[in-house]
Amino acid sequence: MLSRFALNSSLPRVTCIRTCAVANTGDSGVERLIPAPTYPSKKAEQSPERDTKNFPRVKRPDEPGKCRLFFIPEEYFQFFYPKTGVTGPYVFGAGLMTYLFSKEIMVCEHEYYAGLTFALVIYMGIKLAGPELQTAINNGVKEEDDKYRNLKSNAVEVLEESIKDEKHAQWQAQGQKLLFDAKRENVAVQLEAAFRERQMAVYRAVKNRLDYKLEMDNVTRRFQHHHMVNWIVSQVRKSITPELEKKSINQSIQDLKNLAARV
Amino acid sequence: MSVYDLLAKMGMGQLPEGYNKKIHGPYNPARYYGKPDIPLGQVKIKELGPWLARRNKDPVSIARLMSRGYHRWSQKYILARTGGLAGYTQLLVGISLFFYTINYCKYANHRNYKYHW
Repeated sequence: MLSRFALNSSLPRVTCIRTCAVANTGDSGVERLIPAPTYPSKKAEQSPERDTKNFPRVKRPDEPGKCRLFFIPEEYFQFFYPKTGVTGPYVFGAGLMTYLFSKEIMVCEHEYYAGLTFALVIYMGIKLAGPELQTAINNGVKEEDDKYRNLKSNAVEVLEESIKDEKHAQWQAQGQKLLFDAKRENVAVQLEAAFRERQMAVYRAVKNRLDYKLEMDNVTRRFQHHHMVNWIVSQVRKSITPELEKKSINQSIQDLKNLAARV
Repeated sequence: MSVYDLLAKMGMGQLPEGYNKKIHGPYNPARYYGKPDIPLGQVKIKELGPWLARRNKDPVSIARLMSRGYHRWSQKYILARTGGLAGYTQLLVGISLFFYTINYCKYANHRNYKYHW
């Protein structure tokens, strides 16, 4: 994540440098005076066009090239070996020097001896102080190397740590799935409860209306009944005349008598 | 046309023609990106003439040759991780030889013998 971020944030800068370099060219048809930065990238190294076999990346050597007699490269000696054997280059060198000195092509004037003296002094200096100086210099180089190596390893450490954190976060998010399910169930239960509540409300509302209707019917019927009874009673009362009353009372008395006789 | 454009047209500050970043990767100033010829060490004496005739002898090529030589030497002897005296000794010897050569006419007056057999 961090690296991606770094890449994203560095890309606009790189393109800016590129465009600046191209913008520098002017209109004379010269493609580029300041070459665009050739940042080595992993992608470019792995492209199929790249010929890493014949053109490998330059690697900084750990040791300088080997030399004999302090300054003559080992390769020159190797060049002689197939034809002359191991003594060949020395014989050649000695012969050449003998020839040059003998014919005074190499003139031994005072500066030549001064040079020899210098060489002797330098040789003695190297023999005396060389090893210590070499250790000191190599230690300095090592320190510097370690500095950059530490920078790199620290950065790698930090990035690995962040990757680990990211994976942990992903694992935690996976754990959240259970919680999500539980929450989903909870929501479903709530929805069900709300649905039932509303169903209940509808049921109650319908029941109330039906109850009202029933009650209305009942009341209407009761009133009608009441009214009818009253009306009938009043009509009957109205129809009862004194003679009829008398007759009925007589009839009643007669009935009572009959009853009494039977009992 | 500015001086810079002129120099650029002459090839200064430009990458060599044979160099292709896609094939060759990061540019190495010590490397020759043209078609390689036989190394000098493997050339037979009789092939030396044609070999020399095949060299580019224009100033830009010579300058590039010297630049490559410097970078090759520097990468091998000076820029190695651990220090060594070889490069600096070579530099001293080279400087001595150079000044010996340019002052040779003066030194020749110091010859001790008139006749050499």
